[in-house]
Amino acid sequence: MSSVFSSRGVMAPRAVIVWLCLMLLPALPFMSKFYLLLAFDALLFGTVAMALDLLMGYTGLVSFGHAAFFGLGAYASAVLLERGIVSLWVCLAFAVLVVGLYALVVSFFATARRGIYFALLTLIFAEVVYTFFRYTQTFGGSDGIQGVPSPRLLGDFAIDTPLRNYYLVLAYLGLAYLACRVLVTSHFGRVLVAIRENEDRARFLGYNVQRYKMAVCMISALLTGLGGALYPGRSAFATPDLMLWTVSGEFIIMVMIGGLGTLAGPIVGGAFFVLLQEKVSSYVDWYFIVIGLVLIVIVLFMPRGLLGIRELIGGRRWRTTA
Amino acid sequence: MAHDGVVLEVDSVSKNFGALAALSRVSFAVRPGQIFSVIGPNGAGKSTLFNVISGLHAPTVGRVRFRGQEIAGLAPEAINRLGIAKTFQITNIFPEISVFENVRVAAQSRARESGRLASLWRLPDVEAGASELLRAFGLATRRDELAENLSHGEQRYLEICLALATSPSLLLLDEPTAGMTPGETKEATALIRQIATARGLTVLLIEHDMSVVMGISDRVAVLHFGEKIAEGAPEQIRNDPQVIEAYLGPPEA
Amino acid sequence: MDYLVAVLLPQLLHGLVFGAALGLLALGLTVIFGLLGVMNFAHGELYMLGAYAGIAVIGVTHSFWTALVVAPLAVGAIGAATEVTTLRPLYRREPLYGLILTFGLALVFREGVRQIWGGDMRRIAPPFTGSTPLLGMTYPNYRLFLLAASSLLLLAIWLFFTRTRAGILVRAAVQDAEMLDGLGVNVPRVFTLTFAGSAALAALAGLLLAPVFTVYPQMGVEMILLAFIVVILGGMGSMGGSVIAAFVIGLAQSLLTLWMNPQRVAIAIFAIMIVILIVRPRGFFGREGVLE
Repeated sequence: MSSVFSSRGVMAPRAVIVWLCLMLLPALPFMSKFYLLLAFDALLFGTVAMALDLLMGYTGLVSFGHAAFFGLGAYASAVLLERGIVSLWVCLAFAVLVVGLYALVVSFFATARRGIYFALLTLIFAEVVYTFFRYTQTFGGSDGIQGVPSPRLLGDFAIDTPLRNYYLVLAYLGLAYLACRVLVTSHFGRVLVAIRENEDRARFLGYNVQRYKMAVCMISALLTGLGGALYPGRSAFATPDLMLWTVSGEFIIMVMIGGLGTLAGPIVGGAFFVLLQEKVSSYVDWYFIVIGLVLIVIVLFMPRGLLGIRELIGGRRWRTTA
Repeated sequence: MAHDGVVLEVDSVSKNFGALAALSRVSFAVRPGQIFSVIGPNGAGKSTLFNVISGLHAPTVGRVRFRGQEIAGLAPEAINRLGIAKTFQITNIFPEISVFENVRVAAQSRARESGRLASLWRLPDVEAGASELLRAFGLATRRDELAENLSHGEQRYLEICLALATSPSLLLLDEPTAGMTPGETKEATALIRQIATARGLTVLLIEHDMSVVMGISDRVAVLHFGEKIAEGAPEQIRNDPQVIEAYLGPPEA
Repeated sequence: MDYLVAVLLPQLLHGLVFGAALGLLALGLTVIFGLLGVMNFAHGELYMLGAYAGIAVIGVTHSFWTALVVAPLAVGAIGAATEVTTLRPLYRREPLYGLILTFGLALVFREGVRQIWGGDMRRIAPPFTGSTPLLGMTYPNYRLFLLAASSLLLLAIWLFFTRTRAGILVRAAVQDAEMLDGLGVNVPRVFTLTFAGSAALAALAGLLLAPVFTVYPQMGVEMILLAFIVVILGGMGSMGGSVIAAFVIGLAQSLLTLWMNPQRVAIAIFAIMIVILIVRPRGFFGREGVLE
């Protein structure tokens, strides 16, 4: 493994420090249960946004169906928890299985042709999944699965408080970030960038582009599904609303806010969005119009990210490889 | 695989697009180390020929053999891995990464890890080869520049570097000097000849510029409306009345 | 036999009309993508805006026919304005940005309409009632009118693309947008007109179909998803392919509704798409060699 951490710069010391600081977050005086849950959401969705960035920022593929990966992970977990299978590890493994199978099918069809078809097909697949769960009574229909017990980490140790959930998601964030950093600084990561820059050329240089696209799609989907699997532990439910295409749109906003192709940017973007949503959601009526406008404005005026995260993390152009 | 010392054999290849016959029963063979040019007026089918050889299209009829192996109908990436690398008539590089990163990712395609699971976390060491290619084409000083910021001539060189980085034995050059000034063209021609010899490459070349064709070709084939109307040594072709009639443009000095 | 005439045939005709509308939308998507390089996620909303613009015009003039003229023009103008202000800056950028921006536009249009007109279902009364006996069944006159109108519309579009200079130009440019540069054509104007034109046509379809379906803010969403399926099956390199795929999907949708509830129909259509993609990965008319 030493080759992984050699001078190719997998992990900036800055990132480790930030993560350690996050460990201390609950010690702050104002961190009530409410804020801990908010922090949970912020980090969870931030990580999902990072997983999406692998597709969007590095490979240039827009997924309009990421909410389905998330929701499927949540349902997988909830279905087991509901039936009394409360081991967290079993839930996660099952989520990997379910989301993995779905992602395999989606990515196979979605990556067979040009990038634009990827966007269309991920959307359509996600709509079908949403429709299926919304109208299938076995999974609770529009109410989904409610009132599931908390998962157990080991023996009787249940993840049943906001604090424990927070540390769980922090571990998830740390591991996911590490995995993504290893990925983007590897051979695979560079090929992804080449595919983004010029898919046809990459083919004529000997790369089986579809295979790469499928691989990154599945990795992104699995990371997202794992995040989804953690959600019922916090919310005690899994509903079809988790899979709405507007949710997929929200994930896209998170990535755009933070800055495409930076990994850490989307985490911050996700957190920022969750916090913002918390404030704005009282104006439910206008919410979607705001989302739409935000997307338009970001694309037109701040494509590199609203928060200029890139400059904060080290000023490298988003299009260069590691 | 017995192939009688022929690197590439195009055997009665025809390619139809609906009612349009882009290629009609084209046949020729390219020997190792040759620089073989394909010329002809616009619309003669030259690019289609390259597209068939490189895997973009499958021929409607006919066969293509590379070192004795049938390659017609294979996917472009498979054909590249067998040893055929193509450049594009319209520059087709990776615009928003640096020149060095362009060549490096092309070279990575031949690394041991490529296509294996380990490529998810390993980083192959191809820097030396990539740097050497840049040096050979005089792009070493531009290595950190974004590829899209290069001049047209430099981009055409980069185009060739990308193809060469995949260690081919057959190089397909589609109008490599397109858009270059006469001075750049002369330089490029000499460079191509030199590198081809140094690396033992076989080169199949599409060109419009007669000075290039006459200057470096060992053999020339002429296409007209999808058919091969002549083939031979450059001097033969130059004086062939059929070819002159089809097109030869104003005589070059 | 009775079943055939009483139930199947009307659904078949309905499917043809629906297919024509889908074809209009899919064509619009294909042309805009080929020419402008943007996948217009908001196309379904332009269709929806046609219906609502119709409601607005009818509210003032009480005339469906006036609305049929004014509404598409209004939506066409909205389309032109949108293209100039939001899409033009994106042409040189990667397709990714156009996707996200039009997605945002769709949200704004949809929710904007909901704010203005509310989310309830509305109806537009057909401009004439009554039915005509035909082949042993009676068909609502408006539906017969729709059949005629959609056929004429498709014919007109076909003529435009094959017989007029502008149409031939656009069609060629859809295959290869770069060629426009060399022709001395005012490219920005062509883009704006094309976008406005496809917006107007989508709006027209929306208004024409409104008396048959209900009008509500989400109506564009269902159409655009089907239009995407059509585009996937027809391939974006082929306009004819889009139209054919549109009729296939339109008919399938119509006929399947006879036997399944709406959710099952959606999943069935999806399954059909998957099967076709397995057999022909590039769609009906996927062009070889385009790395489609």
